[in-house]
Amino acid sequence: MTWWIPLRSLLRNRRRTLLSVAIIALGTAISLFVFGFLEDSRLQIQATTVDEYGNLQIASPALWDDTAEGYEYLIMPETESRIRELLVGRAAITGITSQLQLPGLIAAGNQTQVVRITSQVPENGTLNIDAFVIDGRPLRTSDVAAVLIGRSLANRLGLAVGDVVTLTLTTVDGAYNATPLQIVGIYRFTSEQVELRSLFMPLSFAQRLLNTKGVDRLIVNLGSISATNAEASAIQRLLDNDALSLRVETWDDLSPFYKELAGFFDLLFGFLTLAVFILVFFIILQVLTLAFLERTREIGTLRALGTTRGEVLSQLLMESGWLAIIGSLTGVFVGLAISLGFNALGIEWRPPGTVEASVLSVQIGLMTALPPFGVSVVATLLSAIFPAIQTSRLRVVDALRVE
Amino acid sequence: MENTSQFCHEKGLPFLEARALTKTYQVGTSTVHALRDVDFAAMQGDFIVINGPSGSGKTTFLNLISAIDRPSEGEVLIQGVSTNTLSERQLAQLRKDKIGLIFQTFNLIPVLSAAENAEYPLLLQKIPKAERSKRVRNMLAEVGLGELGRRRPNELSGGQRQRIAIARALITRPKLVLADEPTANLDSETGAQVMDLMRKLNEEHCVVLLVVTHDPAVTKYAQRRIRIHDGRLAEGSQP
Repeated sequence: MTWWIPLRSLLRNRRRTLLSVAIIALGTAISLFVFGFLEDSRLQIQATTVDEYGNLQIASPALWDDTAEGYEYLIMPETESRIRELLVGRAAITGITSQLQLPGLIAAGNQTQVVRITSQVPENGTLNIDAFVIDGRPLRTSDVAAVLIGRSLANRLGLAVGDVVTLTLTTVDGAYNATPLQIVGIYRFTSEQVELRSLFMPLSFAQRLLNTKGVDRLIVNLGSISATNAEASAIQRLLDNDALSLRVETWDDLSPFYKELAGFFDLLFGFLTLAVFILVFFIILQVLTLAFLERTREIGTLRALGTTRGEVLSQLLMESGWLAIIGSLTGVFVGLAISLGFNALGIEWRPPGTVEASVLSVQIGLMTALPPFGVSVVATLLSAIFPAIQTSRLRVVDALRVE
Repeated sequence: MENTSQFCHEKGLPFLEARALTKTYQVGTSTVHALRDVDFAAMQGDFIVINGPSGSGKTTFLNLISAIDRPSEGEVLIQGVSTNTLSERQLAQLRKDKIGLIFQTFNLIPVLSAAENAEYPLLLQKIPKAERSKRVRNMLAEVGLGELGRRRPNELSGGQRQRIAIARALITRPKLVLADEPTANLDSETGAQVMDLMRKLNEEHCVVLLVVTHDPAVTKYAQRRIRIHDGRLAEGSQP
C-alpha cells in the first residue's frame, strides 16, 4: 500500500486534523519543556557534585564503609605511588590528586564550629577551588598554617581574610593537637552546608597536624562525566589485579543527595509523561474513532474492491502514524521555541539550601527532545489501534449500507 | 482497446453459478427471507439485467454473487469454485482479480483524483507504476475522460463520476462486472451514455455484466432479463 493515500486521508478534514495535531503538539511541547528543565537542573547539580568530589575516588573499603577504628584506612606513600603508576597513560584521566580529610573543631573568640577539613596539594590542577575564592587568595604550595573558609562560616563567626582561628583535632596516635590558622581566603559554593562545614588547607600541613605521611584518598578527574562508570570499572580491575585492597567510588556513589534528586526528577518526569500519555491517548482515541466511523462506507468500498482487512488496518495505522509524526514534530518545534524564549529571559532562582541564585534554563538538544517525541508517537499509535482494528473488521456488506 | 478475443473463446462455459442460494436475516424474533432457493447461471459475455421491486432481494443477490456477503444456504460458484470454501483473504483476492463492482452512488474515494481512483485496484494488484499509468491512460480514454484524470470526484458531474467508477471496475480486466443501479443517480441522457458505454465494454471485453436496476430504459441493453420477486428468481423473456 502506498504512503500517500493515508496522508491525504489525514488531511481531508483539516479542522479535525489540526485539532489532533494541536493536542499532540501541546502534550509534546509541555513534556519537552519540563523534561528539558529537569535535565538542565540535573546537569547543573551533576557538574557541581563532580566539582566537589571529582569523577572518581580511590580509598580503603574501611573508609567507604566507615568501619575503621582511627586512621587505619590511610594510604601510605608507597601505595599511593603504586596507584599513580597503575593509572599513568590512561587516556580518559585528566588529573589525579591526593586528599586527606579530617574532622576538627575551630574556635574564633568564644564561638566554635565542628568542621571537616579537606586538605590537598594546592595548585594541583585537578580538584582545586581557586575559581570559587571570592575574597583573599587561593592556597599556595608554600602556605603553612593557612586555611580557606566558606562564606557562610565567615558570616556566622564574623571572620574575615587575615583573621586567625584555632583548630583542634586528634592525631593518628590519638593525641590532641591544636594550632592557630590564618584565613587566607573565603570561598563560595552553591551549597550552604558545604560553606559552613568545609575548610581547605595544604595537604602537607594537614599531614603534619595528624602526624602522618598518608592520605585517605586519591581523586581522579576524567575528561567526560559519561566515562565515569567505565573508567571506574577499569581502574578497579587494575587495583584488584595488583592485590591492592582499595575500592573505587564514583561521584554519584559519593553524593546520596544527587542520587535522591535524580530519582525525584525521574519520578516527576514519569508522572508528567504518564499525564501527557493519558491526555493524548484518550483524546486521539476519541478523534480517530469518530474519523474512522465517518468513513465506514469508504472502508466498505475499499474492502469490496479487494482490499484485505490487513491492508485496511495498515492504511489506518499509517494514517495515525502520519498524525503522530506531524503532531509530535510540531510539538518538538513549539517546545524548543518556548525553551529558547525561556532561556533568553534569564530568570534567576535560589534553590533551598543554596546560597547562590542560579539562572533557570532549559536543556535543549536531541536527547531531551527524543523522550517526549517518543511518548507522543507511541500514545497516538496506541490510541489508533483499537478503532483501526474495529474498522478493518467491519463486514463489507454492512459497511456499504452505511450512508 | 486491447484485443479481448481471448476472453470470449470461453463463451458457452458457465462462468458464474448460484445453487439453491438462500439468505435469511434475523430481525428481532422473526426471520426474513431475502433470497429463497435461487438457481442461476451466467455464461462468459452475458449481459444480464435484474429487475424487481424494492426489497425483493436484488441487492442481496448481487452482494452474494460479488462475494461481499455469505449465503445462509446454497452456494455461489465462480469458474467452478464455491465461494463458501474461501477464507476472507481469498474472497478479497477473488474480488480484486475477477470482479468489478459499480455502485449506485459511485463510491469513489474522495481524496483520490479520477485517475487515482481508477488506478486503485491496480495498486492492490501491485502492478508496476509504468504499467499502471499506461492502463489508466487507456481506460480513461475509453470511458471518454482522458482529460479529467487530475480532477477530484467532487469536481466531476454525476455521469463523469460513474464513468470513473466503470473505469475502476474494468481496469483489472475482470471477468465479472456487477452494477447496482448504475443509472439511478443520473439524468436519462447521461444514463443512456453510461449504458452505451457498458454495453460497448461488455462486447469488447467479453465480460459477464450483471446489472441490477429499476430503470426500464436499462433493460433494453440486456441479452437476458431476470426478475426477482419476494426473494425468488424468475427468468424473463428476451428484451
